[in-house]
Amino acid sequence: MRCEFDSTTGIATLVMQMDGRANKINPSFGEGLNRILDEALATTGLKGIILTSGHKDFCVGADLDFIYKVREPQAVYDVTRSLNALFRKLETCGKPVVCALNGSALGGGYELALSCHYRVALDRADIQLGLPEVSLGLIPGAGGTQRLPRLIGIQAALMLVVEGKLVRALNAQANGLVDELVSTEEALRASAVAFITKTPNAKQPWDKSDFKYIGPQPETNECRQLFAVGGAMLTKKTAGVFPAAEAVISAVYEGTQVGLDAALQIESRYFAARATSDNAKDMIRTFWFHKNAVEKQEGLPRAENSGFTTIGLLGAGMMGAGIAVVSAQRGFKVVIKDIRQEALDRCRAHFDEQVSKRAKHAPQAERDAISARVTFTLDVVDLAPCDLIIEAVVEDIDLKHRVTREVAAVVGKDTIWASNTSAIPITDLATAWHTPANFIGLHFFSPVELMPLVEVITPKATSEVTLARALAYVREIKKTAIVVNDGYGFYTTRVFSAYIMEAAQMVAQGHDPVLVEYAARRAGMVVSPLKVFDEVSLSLAVHAVGSRERWEGKKIDEPGLNLVKRLVEIGRAGKLAGKGFYDYETKPRRLWSGLRAFVEARPAATSFEYIQSRMMLVQGLEAAKCLEEGILRSKRDAEIGAIFGVGFAPNTGGPLAYLDRVGLKNVVSKLDALAAELGPRYAPNQLLRDMAANGERFFEAA
Amino acid sequence: MPDTAYIYDAVRTPRGRGKAGGSLYTVKAVDLLAVSLRALVERNNLGGENGKLVEDVSIGCVTQVGEQGSCIARTGVLLADLDESVPAVTLNRFCGSGLEAVNASSAKVASGFADLTIAGGVESMSRVAMGSDGGALWDPTMEWKYGTVPQGISADLLATLAGLTRNDVDAFALRSQKRAATAWETGEFSRSVVPVKDFNGVTLLERDEFLRPDTTLEGLNKLKASFEQMGEQFGLDDLARKRYPHVETIRHIHTPGNSSGIVDGSAAVLIGNGPIGTKLGLKPRARIRAAVSVGGEPVLMLAEPVAAARKALAKAGMVLSDIDLFEVNEAFAAVPLYFAQELGLDLDRINVNGGAIALGHPLGATGAMILGTLLDALERRNLSTGLATLCIGGGMGIATIIERV
Repeated sequence: MRCEFDSTTGIATLVMQMDGRANKINPSFGEGLNRILDEALATTGLKGIILTSGHKDFCVGADLDFIYKVREPQAVYDVTRSLNALFRKLETCGKPVVCALNGSALGGGYELALSCHYRVALDRADIQLGLPEVSLGLIPGAGGTQRLPRLIGIQAALMLVVEGKLVRALNAQANGLVDELVSTEEALRASAVAFITKTPNAKQPWDKSDFKYIGPQPETNECRQLFAVGGAMLTKKTAGVFPAAEAVISAVYEGTQVGLDAALQIESRYFAARATSDNAKDMIRTFWFHKNAVEKQEGLPRAENSGFTTIGLLGAGMMGAGIAVVSAQRGFKVVIKDIRQEALDRCRAHFDEQVSKRAKHAPQAERDAISARVTFTLDVVDLAPCDLIIEAVVEDIDLKHRVTREVAAVVGKDTIWASNTSAIPITDLATAWHTPANFIGLHFFSPVELMPLVEVITPKATSEVTLARALAYVREIKKTAIVVNDGYGFYTTRVFSAYIMEAAQMVAQGHDPVLVEYAARRAGMVVSPLKVFDEVSLSLAVHAVGSRERWEGKKIDEPGLNLVKRLVEIGRAGKLAGKGFYDYETKPRRLWSGLRAFVEARPAATSFEYIQSRMMLVQGLEAAKCLEEGILRSKRDAEIGAIFGVGFAPNTGGPLAYLDRVGLKNVVSKLDALAAELGPRYAPNQLLRDMAANGERFFEAA
Repeated sequence: MPDTAYIYDAVRTPRGRGKAGGSLYTVKAVDLLAVSLRALVERNNLGGENGKLVEDVSIGCVTQVGEQGSCIARTGVLLADLDESVPAVTLNRFCGSGLEAVNASSAKVASGFADLTIAGGVESMSRVAMGSDGGALWDPTMEWKYGTVPQGISADLLATLAGLTRNDVDAFALRSQKRAATAWETGEFSRSVVPVKDFNGVTLLERDEFLRPDTTLEGLNKLKASFEQMGEQFGLDDLARKRYPHVETIRHIHTPGNSSGIVDGSAAVLIGNGPIGTKLGLKPRARIRAAVSVGGEPVLMLAEPVAAARKALAKAGMVLSDIDLFEVNEAFAAVPLYFAQELGLDLDRINVNGGAIALGHPLGATGAMILGTLLDALERRNLSTGLATLCIGGGMGIATIIERV
């Protein structure tokens, strides 16, 4: 951190450059900034201040190590108050202060920018700005919930902060997040100097006596409506499971009714409450520590790059098309092979539509280049140049074996084969491939363009090099990988099946389907189970269970499955059939009104809490089993895989964090009770029993 | 009770349409209040020295901002030529305010703390917009903690839970219109209603002007549900669902046709003990048997008249069959229908002269108005006991039982 004073212009440049690779807000950041600010203010002839970064990013926000550990609201409050005092000192120092955004400013970093009189940013595509705190169970704590509404209006600020949305610098001027965009470092400085020269008496709008909000003023009917609807819309979207998003709305509501100094105090209060909450601990652990580790692929074999140039895709369905889009977009050549021309035509149409949607700001030439990288073919010989072949044909092992052999005949020994199966053990598929060391599972999720996760499955025979190259490919297409060992259903499919089958099970036992659906959402599940069951289709689920039965060599006889079969028999096969658990003719869709009568059984007792707890516990149990069986290689993957792959409740931090929060002793006794009521498949596994007996947790308490 | 609280008289203004162009739109709220107060003074010999006998005036008023702010009750007293010695208080228990004023005044008399009081209410909804007072109820914390919703959503939720159909509520609305029209034709309101005149003596309004006697069921059926878009698209139904997880869909069936009307009006009730009546030469018309209020579930909000009625009966040592007539405020058609359904009452005993769907609901005044309506109806039918009740924002209920003497 240094202050550079130019005596000819009278401008002090405060360069933030903390040790390490980034500027993070922590106590030493505060001390450093305060020191160089004082130095500038003590300089004779000072006309203005430019704040900028000596690192690639401007400032990436708070150091979460401190927040993750602290449980004492007073301690958080004190730290926040002193940071706010520093930011307040900056904006009321009596000299114009310009923020020269030469890199991304996130969270506290962007709050620092808001505390300057003028913001000018480089128009680099990788620069992002905004307040993402809610995605970690936090709220902005350095004035973000107060200065942003005062800068861009209450509604506009709420829309960004409640969802933790980041804005690219390129779009930030239109949003009012920056005042000016420039293309070069020189222009950045020139524009800052120009502002200082032009505005010697710069004052924040909220420090002027005639301050007015853009849009509705606080305490007007229009503003009250805005908050009422804002809160309702949040509840519609989240079923009320994100206290941080709610705290943002409350902090803005209360803070905009008073002056800024009082407003900052109100924000600090909400920040301290959130930062010390269980919810924030669980979300920071998963969405910061776990997610960073998974994205860096920590502890996994590493190749600098995949070395692939051409990707072959077998099967031109939605999956194949999606993988083609994300691969071609990242510069890979793609060959898509199918046996039916109409499938290829549909695939091409989907591909074109996605490219124009996803690269809509790119120049036409770039979009053309993406399209030019893809070829569609009926001829297997065209796959010959591929370095990686991803098989995405229907879930039928004989068919998969047949196409594997067919392609094996036309490609070299070092070509890597990946199956996109969602359940069939990779080891069994690999028998059709000439080099098992080059055979791996790459389980994508639909729609591939939007879903960030790839579940990488490694049978024993898969080589480290193959895994390293596959992981590099996942990085290259900007996806996140979890790596699991082989076994039927791997990890994510098992947790997902446990979820939707338990819902069907409860309906079959006569629990109210309306409660089943809502209990899931109130637990934080992203999509309610019967709705997603319909989307998967009931017939496909029946088929999958059949396949699992053949694999495990035993009959699966559960009331839920029988109900699903009966529904398929009467034509209620799911969304595609126009009816399943839901009716799709009516808008909005409603659960089939005949469902309760169709199920004759009635439970001895039922309640919202029982339904919710049972639905969540079976998923936690499945994750614990996957850990015990060695399917999961790491606990972090249990959390990331369930949340990003199958929409497990993000507010909980993941299935293992959920179990920790319930308490493992509690979990074991609840599961024992369910086993006594419903049968042994609910019984806790040995791992859970041992951990509970030893008072252990999956993740250290924070 | 050391003393008995008697009702000596009750008056009200006709209700004007509560918008610009309504007949009472040019009348300031305080002048509207003064009409009822002045009428009560004139009819009950409270002019001159006698005026000093009035020990307090309690006035219900909900939207206490602008010209209804800063204790409109006291200004009303001064402008209505009551004696300067008469103090006044403005009360807000939302839609129950007018009846709250009656109950509070009765309590003062019954306890012996006062001999003679005036209760009443005023609301000029054309001049002071409903909701313009803001308030703590809007705080987002209420959404997080309870999932509170606007009253219209609560009304539709209540209807859904009670299994009421669009036809049920529309039929009830039609009945309200027909009964109110008949009541006007047959003079049911003539004892209580005093015309509103300006200071030149020019009559502005002498009959309720909101009612539509030509209403038909078909016409009502055609109206668009008021809260459907708000509930479904803006997420308000989802707020209610936190408390009612088993309600997959709230059926939106309330419309402007089957909900209470927005109107202007005021009312005043004279309440005192026995000796003061004798002193003034007034004859008591009824006594207060019970005066209660209750709190309940704030999301559903509108179900509490049931609990209020039960509590009032218990306090009075009475049972349902002891009550001859009921006045249940028609905030929304679902409210009296739910009330009747829950208590197993025949609709013939409820709102015999129609209600707020036909006549309008001047928020702070309605409670005092329906008490007068109830008393008139008992007298004209030579019946003895009546119960008046209102649903109240924030999940409250209020009820008063009267018995003719």
